[in-house]
Amino acid sequence: MNRRTLLRHAAQLAAAAALGSLPHRGWSALPRPDGWSASEEALLDAIGDTILPATPGSPGAGSVAIGRFILVMTADCHPPAAAEAVRRLLAEVTTRAQAAGARAFPELPAAERERLLVALERQPPPARDGVAPWRHVKDLTLLGYFTAEAGATQALRYDPVPGAYRGSVPLRPGDRAWAT
Amino acid sequence: MSSHPTTPGARAHTYDAIVVGSGISGGWAAKELCEAGLRTLVLERGRDVQHLRDYPTALANPWDLPHRGRLPRALAQANPIARKCYAFDEATEHFFAKDAEHPYVQEKPFDWIRGYQVGGKSLIWARQTQRWSHHDFEGPARDGFAEWPITYDELAPWYSHVERFVGISGNRDGVEGLPDGEFLPAWEMNDAERAMAGRIEGAFPGRRVVQGRCAHLTEARPEHLAQGRGKCQSRNLCYRGCPFGGYFSSNSSTLPWAARTGNLTVRPGSVVESILHDDATGRASGVRVIDAATKGVTEYFAKVIFVNAACLNTNLILLNSKSRRYPAGLGNDHGLLGRHVAFHNYRGSLNASLEGFADSYYSGRRPTQPMMPNFRNVTRQETDFQRGYMVFFSAARRGWTRGQGAPGIGAAYKEELTRPGPWGIYMMMQGETIPRYENHVRLSADQRDPWGIPQLVTSIGYTDNDERMIRDFLAQGRAMLEAAGARDIRATDDRRNPGLDIHEMGGARMGRDPRTSLLNRWNQFHTCPNVFVTDGAAMASTGVQNPSLTFMALTARAARHAVDELRKGTL
Repeated sequence: MNRRTLLRHAAQLAAAAALGSLPHRGWSALPRPDGWSASEEALLDAIGDTILPATPGSPGAGSVAIGRFILVMTADCHPPAAAEAVRRLLAEVTTRAQAAGARAFPELPAAERERLLVALERQPPPARDGVAPWRHVKDLTLLGYFTAEAGATQALRYDPVPGAYRGSVPLRPGDRAWAT
Repeated sequence: MSSHPTTPGARAHTYDAIVVGSGISGGWAAKELCEAGLRTLVLERGRDVQHLRDYPTALANPWDLPHRGRLPRALAQANPIARKCYAFDEATEHFFAKDAEHPYVQEKPFDWIRGYQVGGKSLIWARQTQRWSHHDFEGPARDGFAEWPITYDELAPWYSHVERFVGISGNRDGVEGLPDGEFLPAWEMNDAERAMAGRIEGAFPGRRVVQGRCAHLTEARPEHLAQGRGKCQSRNLCYRGCPFGGYFSSNSSTLPWAARTGNLTVRPGSVVESILHDDATGRASGVRVIDAATKGVTEYFAKVIFVNAACLNTNLILLNSKSRRYPAGLGNDHGLLGRHVAFHNYRGSLNASLEGFADSYYSGRRPTQPMMPNFRNVTRQETDFQRGYMVFFSAARRGWTRGQGAPGIGAAYKEELTRPGPWGIYMMMQGETIPRYENHVRLSADQRDPWGIPQLVTSIGYTDNDERMIRDFLAQGRAMLEAAGARDIRATDDRRNPGLDIHEMGGARMGRDPRTSLLNRWNQFHTCPNVFVTDGAAMASTGVQNPSLTFMALTARAARHAVDELRKGTL
């Protein structure tokens, strides 16, 4: 092994050592913020899974603990008005689900859930204190799903260490977008 | 307290050279001085950050971060200034000074972004590294506001010196106003950018679009492998610290290199309060340090002192270095210390969309973008504003974020978002601002920081010249984007405060005339020649280029001069 190869190996070993020391945290392990119930979290899972359902090759948002993600982000990263907005959205969704004859939104068949949210998106609950309830939940659904491991690696393509940049790559039918 | 190293205790605190600050220029001072055999003490006010060991987020996936990189509200609210920096997020915040811990007084709004740790802002810089051209050095004298004491030709070999060690990627473009350097292979443009470049150059004869030059190893040559650095992996997670050493920082490069000589001592947690002046010899004798944690006071002594605390902190230390000889701060016989501070004008930007190129994509994440050397007032005054600007632009296919705020529910909506979106374009300016006497920093008369040091007062603002330059860029940018075939062009003046560019320069400017400048052509104080200032504070003007490469070249050149003078016994 010559000096150059040795140095390259040393740099890679050092990087691998750094990798080993990193904390790895899964989302489902994070606690549900105070003031929210399991059924509210499940309702958000169902809403998220309706916005981004399972499709060939990738699971839906409900399988990446999207409800927990929305609640944690709302509590930690958004103003208090955002929590109120989530509550108003959940109430609105439940009211509409009951008008459609169900006890709760998650019990509706997938096609009806989708119809309900399409209608809700056209006439969403109004913004209050600068937070629009539907937009808030939908934006966090997209963020939570496409940055989750399943969303990034299955719905999108994720390459943590590309190695190089290529400026001209033919896009073939079916090619997915890069996650990052 | 004695400022003469005569007692045994003082001798233990005596080095050949002291470098104040461990950022991009301090690291270079340390490297050059240590290599020349000088026992060198580097004082860093922040904590230690060791390459690899102290990059806790460097390899985190998006889903490993508790908030996927977004800032928790408490952190954002506690840092109304730092949070404005584009690079400040959940994965990088540990490399930024926190607002509340380091107060200053904004007489005029100034967003002061600081990196207080070993390595300073070299861990979180944007890494774009263009040489200045002779136009940049000569323009200020032509326009009558400053006079550089050095020429491009004098600095050129030092640019080469630092480029080879740092590793700069770029093309040899042969552009008259943008000198070529010692380059590693350039990053590629993507198909959309290449087409735009051709259309812009075709529609605007004389304007050039070239690929940006940046401090990334597109190829690791023996001099880089010897530093323990490897090829850039195109991850574009640079602000977390790079475990591959793919980009240049003090931590990955100059400091470990200096340490290998056996001549380096780095002392983190050392807040430099002032430089000690010996009125008897007319030289600085050392520095006074306040321990960041204990607040205990220590003095260190050396024959030569490099001040590399980053522009505004260098000004603060110098202003606070009061002696009988210099009651208004070191070298400040004329009241010009802290004056003529300038920065870069980033206020103008444009967004647009670009049709076509539907079958073209790219892979990897690139740490630079195409750029256009300044095309305004290059050889003579020809617009209603003085000086010029550089233009950067990039084209990329939009990602899933296009679904935020867009209608859609269900499988088709999701599937659409998993495909590369339409092409979007971003274009921005980097404008030269003119150092004005009125734009200054000074010491607060009554406010002190937690270490008892007077707080810095910032009084730095835009001028009508800057406003006219913004208008010109937005008009020219629109015209160039139209020529490039862009649609939906939206121009923005974000009216950001000075400082957010993180290109503050001046306050202890170089010059030929001691009556109008602080430092001579070797970055030495005209009147106190064993003190060198080689960070942004030394700059007589800002040019249109990203400044760090020039700070590094000036530092290496000044260090060589210091060593030569020490050997001759003239320091």
